[in-house]
Amino acid sequence: MLQEDHPLVKSAGTVSLPAAELKEFVAALMQKFPVIAPILKGREYVFAQLEDAAQLADDYQPTILPAKKVLQQPLETVFSFVRQEAFAEDGKCTSLGEERICFVDHGAAVQKKVLFGVRPCDVNSFNVLDEVFCKDLPDPFYCQSRQETLIVAQNCVKPCRSGFCYYQQTGPGLQRGYDLLLTELDNAYLVEAGSDAGRELLALHPFAAAAPEMSLARDELLAATSRRLPKHILTRNLAELLEENVDHPVWEDLQRRCLGCGTCTMVCPTCFCYNVYDKLDLGLESGVRQREWDSCKLMEFSQVALGHNFRKGRQARAQWRIYHKLLYQQRQFGKTGCVGCGRCIYSCMVNIDLTDVASTLGGE
Amino acid sequence: MSGLPKVAIYKFASCSGCQLEFLNLEPVLLDLLGMVDIAHFVMARSASSPGPYDIGFVEGSIVNAEDVGRLKEARAESKLLVAIGACATHGGLQSISNWLPMREVESSVYATPVQTHPLKSFPVSEYVKVDASLSGCPINKNELVEFIKSALLGVTPRIRPHSVCVECKLAENVCLLVSEGKPCMGPVIRAGCSALCPSRSTPCTGCHGPSSDCNVESLRTTFAGLGLHQSEITRHFRKYAALDAEFQKGGRT
Repeated sequence: MLQEDHPLVKSAGTVSLPAAELKEFVAALMQKFPVIAPILKGREYVFAQLEDAAQLADDYQPTILPAKKVLQQPLETVFSFVRQEAFAEDGKCTSLGEERICFVDHGAAVQKKVLFGVRPCDVNSFNVLDEVFCKDLPDPFYCQSRQETLIVAQNCVKPCRSGFCYYQQTGPGLQRGYDLLLTELDNAYLVEAGSDAGRELLALHPFAAAAPEMSLARDELLAATSRRLPKHILTRNLAELLEENVDHPVWEDLQRRCLGCGTCTMVCPTCFCYNVYDKLDLGLESGVRQREWDSCKLMEFSQVALGHNFRKGRQARAQWRIYHKLLYQQRQFGKTGCVGCGRCIYSCMVNIDLTDVASTLGGE
Repeated sequence: MSGLPKVAIYKFASCSGCQLEFLNLEPVLLDLLGMVDIAHFVMARSASSPGPYDIGFVEGSIVNAEDVGRLKEARAESKLLVAIGACATHGGLQSISNWLPMREVESSVYATPVQTHPLKSFPVSEYVKVDASLSGCPINKNELVEFIKSALLGVTPRIRPHSVCVECKLAENVCLLVSEGKPCMGPVIRAGCSALCPSRSTPCTGCHGPSSDCNVESLRTTFAGLGLHQSEITRHFRKYAALDAEFQKGGRT
């Protein structure tokens, strides 16, 4: 049964875009919003704000950093502060002993933007991040940015190099979480609106009506992609297997190979940890508070005052990442912390592959 | 200049590139001079005022008996002694000579090597207690300023102990090792350089020395998989920080 919000149920807002007109549509979007989309960088792809619609890479492998970076930036300034001599009572200054410190908040103005060409795995990662950032204690930076970002997603009609989204139910076709959804067919894109904001975007271009057989072609293509994915992850009983195999030899093997470099967490679309620090100007009178992505794979991450470290050993850290993604997040939020994009597998210099770990635990 | 914390900059066996980074602080150099009195800096000042000093920065490795004596004096007159640059923190490029017969090294460098009397090249910490280390060839200016600010405030400086890969990913560089199959030392090398070389498509050569809990054996295996000979891999690990205990692991010639 299709979900109520499935685009086939809400069929209004399903149109066709000839492949040759894709960049015209992107240019029309760029007239109204900053458009952030995948572009080529060397041999890889990155999300960047388009300056010209021609930059768009519409056939691409997963980007180096996930689309998450648009909502939770790798490095951002939380606020700046300055020591004031004069007493300025405007609600932004506070007294610390005899000092008077004034703050400037950097989180306020978020511009509406379009995130274009996001793949289903990355869109699903936003659902994981929403649980972390926008529930009990909303993070204003992420949540405001999330609200102000229109998502034009793109289904994967070809398998990427190390994805296993189908097994995590996060792709290759997207079910929800988009304003517009594109599917590349033979000579045209099927364009489906998933929200009122998405339907409004359809006014920006003279789209053609979608032929009924396009939806069928889409389903066939996505089913074919599912069958041709390069990786699969064992999901049956995985939680139990992890719980029962804390001392399995596979973890010893990880600690021997893992470089502890932190790459797998930096490229992960669902990792959300960050570090906060102050950066003072040389006069020691003013500065900024910044936050930056952090990683549980780094030794210092779990170090506390007086030097104790809860996960000093590389094995504990290598194991933690996989347990957190596949078991603890499942328990905490009722959904897995892995969206199957395969970035950690492709980026690992020593070929650590969490789908292999799962298979080993399952005796495959 | 009285009242400001006094700083000394000492030079041992080195190319002086790290001292030069103090002068390369140009945009903030005047601000810096408003915060500290650089009392002893032979490269930049003709006159020196005597110690004791609040911070002594030591550049260069220790290569002979005379160095050892001067270093002990520097330690005695500096409240905080800070090793700066790969030579002072890890022995530096010249420590590759530690693995060669000394006579061979001398005669390849000097026509008449009668006055050099060298020992092997050792980091500063081999002889005296070091309070802080800023590694790199040369040191990173931002880390230098961060250290000075933190020392003035009496707080722990934010010196990155983790791998170059973290900063390289934050810069969203194409991975030279994974995507291009080049032997990049980044995974085992301490960051703090903003991934300077990989950001310019050049593999990390390791000038910052080992990162925290680096896995040398595993990277050696990876390099071997790229087709590098064992002796070539060893040369990668011996370039700047050959004496480091981690970097000697799995070391074969």
